[in-house]
Amino acid sequence: MPLSGVVNGSTPMSVPGPTTQLPSSAPSLDLERYARQTILPTIGAEGQGKLLNSRVLVVGCGALGSASANLLARAGIGHLTIVDRDYVELSNLQRQVLFDETDVRDRIPKAAAAAEKLQRINNDVVIEGIITDLNAGNVERLASGADVIVDGLDNFETRYLLNDVAVKHGIPWVYGGVIASYGMTMTIRPGSSPCLRCVFPEPPPAGSAPTCDTAGVIGPAVETVAAIQAAEVMKLVVGDIGALNTSLLAVDLWHISLDRVPLPALNPSCPTCGRRDFTFLDNATPSQTTSLCGHDAVQVLPQGAQKLDLGELRRRLDPVGDTTANRFLLRFRPTGSAHELTVFPDGRAIVKGTTDSTQARSLYARYIGA
Amino acid sequence: MIYLDNAATSWPKPPSVYETLGSFLQTLGANPGRAGHRMAAGAAAAVADCRLRLARLMNAESPNHVVFASNATDALNLAIRGLLRPGDQVITSSMEHNSLARPLRSVAEQGVRVTKVLCSPQGVIDRDVVAAAVSPRLRLIAVTHASNVNGAIQPIEDLAEIARHHNALLLVDGAQTLGAMPMDVQSMGIDLLAFPGHKGLLGPPGTGGLYVGPQVDLATFTPQRSGGTGVRSEDDAQPLELPHRYESGTSNTIGIAGLAAGVRFLEEHGVQSIHQRESSLTRRLIAGLEAIEGVRVCNPPAGAPQAAVVSCVVDGWSPADVGSVLDQSFDIACRTGLHCAPDACRTIGAFPEGTVRLSPGCFTTEDEIDAAIAAVAEIASTPSA
Repeated sequence: MPLSGVVNGSTPMSVPGPTTQLPSSAPSLDLERYARQTILPTIGAEGQGKLLNSRVLVVGCGALGSASANLLARAGIGHLTIVDRDYVELSNLQRQVLFDETDVRDRIPKAAAAAEKLQRINNDVVIEGIITDLNAGNVERLASGADVIVDGLDNFETRYLLNDVAVKHGIPWVYGGVIASYGMTMTIRPGSSPCLRCVFPEPPPAGSAPTCDTAGVIGPAVETVAAIQAAEVMKLVVGDIGALNTSLLAVDLWHISLDRVPLPALNPSCPTCGRRDFTFLDNATPSQTTSLCGHDAVQVLPQGAQKLDLGELRRRLDPVGDTTANRFLLRFRPTGSAHELTVFPDGRAIVKGTTDSTQARSLYARYIGA
Repeated sequence: MIYLDNAATSWPKPPSVYETLGSFLQTLGANPGRAGHRMAAGAAAAVADCRLRLARLMNAESPNHVVFASNATDALNLAIRGLLRPGDQVITSSMEHNSLARPLRSVAEQGVRVTKVLCSPQGVIDRDVVAAAVSPRLRLIAVTHASNVNGAIQPIEDLAEIARHHNALLLVDGAQTLGAMPMDVQSMGIDLLAFPGHKGLLGPPGTGGLYVGPQVDLATFTPQRSGGTGVRSEDDAQPLELPHRYESGTSNTIGIAGLAAGVRFLEEHGVQSIHQRESSLTRRLIAGLEAIEGVRVCNPPAGAPQAAVVSCVVDGWSPADVGSVLDQSFDIACRTGLHCAPDACRTIGAFPEGTVRLSPGCFTTEDEIDAAIAAVAEIASTPSA
């Protein structure tokens, strides 16, 4: 598998056309594949045609992203783009459905592994895997032309960036987040339903929230949220707007609960969808990384000044690695990892054992939370 | 904030530098030396003024011997790539910054013979070792004046004598010294002096230059770029004369004007008195750090000539962590690691982790030095996690 920036699906066609009564022309496509879903009156042949002509962007291909991409590729989304910055690791296999032990052994980038696997599942659609860190410099280009965006991100910083882009260009997106046995999802149609910032005005400060790497996560919770996200994408694409989720939907798989938290009304003073101030996109002061001269280390400086409770962070990290601390810093070595994170009270961290800023950012998001 | 990273970039700047940068484009924003109108002439005059002041500061034969560049690295690249040809020998030291070491490595790949002499553990070049390394094809001796890692000053006059004796040239990297201590290119025997504008000269980043002495044969000293110069436009060949031969393209007038303001500040306060002040702060800092248990200072011994650059390591602590704690818990800005000078760190026994570098400047106070010493003491007394 090449480690180049872009891994394209093997099918050269752009958007494949279905047969007979469908609007487009490529005669070879076998619609039998989609028969069980086209029987549904809410989809039908017309809906399937829309799915096959749609472009969907999946940002983040961890547990949520691989689960939703799996469903969407099988459902016949005509052009599926998958963006991710990480490599497949052993601890991913417990819940990330597109990867296997070979990917771990060969250290395959998730975007590449996912694209290859999905292309084998459905070679009638275009699958594009893009290995990159999503940031203010590339997000508009990546989102350009997408009919829907699916959130499979592991950090809030990028999620707020995604919200800016989606609102700015009027692209619906489906938020999803999972931790432990608990998950949430919400469908955002810019201009028609509240955006992420209408509901959560500010991202939580870096290091303040648990992550899947510190609090854990079970596969069933991921699958549930991803399944809802994928269904929402299908509804958006076929145009069944009345069937969309209009709440902040929260599920807990362990305690078996499902809550529909009503969403607030569209907020005209929302900085993003009301005032159209795309601060995460325009005044991008994302978490900065500095390669430390000669240290085989990268410093990650989170967005904005923080005041981190190192004691609390240590309690979260203790179960998943070795921690030591003094009154100035907290040192953390994840179990089974060659990396070491030294965290300081303003939220900055020195990630040792790498000179790759993308990897440093990823480790930061996983263990400290961005 | 206590700013002790002056070896990287001096800060703060004299107020006149800020004022010049703030107003220059409004009053003198035209292209220098390319037209006759008053604003163009004014911009050209600002560049000429800076050249004159720099020439005086280093005692160059005339302002034309000062060529502007975008920084010291740019100047070093011009000197090394412009002068050296396959088969030439260049002698350098084990205390060099990558700004010198990497261009030398690059010309070595094209057939230039690069001889690197090992310095003492204090970082000082032994002139006898250099003399013994000379081959008949010696073209250049290229060394830093003062180490950016531990401040060690090299015996420039001795090296000049060796170069002169073998009809070779001496290139000096003055990044840590020009503006911070008196320098006289003529009496020191320097043929080429590369300097940044943003350190001891107190100017803005993106400025610097190369002094090109009369011993340098311009015909065999190739410009690294050619183009418009404002002189001899009728000729399609690059002009031969200084400084135009090496200054093609519109120059950084605003930066150069800001640099002139920095040099004027040095003239008003006297480089000698600034040097004395910085030396006294450096001695105070070294003495304070040496008194802390678990701290090793990497500088030359007291009394040996050195620039205002102090490196140390703290037992049990990685330099990067010390730097972060200094910034975080004590609001002290410093630099840690290899300082873009891996060879120098090897030479002084601080590889691969490097050092914690504290570099005072002309605006640093004794109180700030004492606060830095106290902060390092507090860190050294805390067990590393």
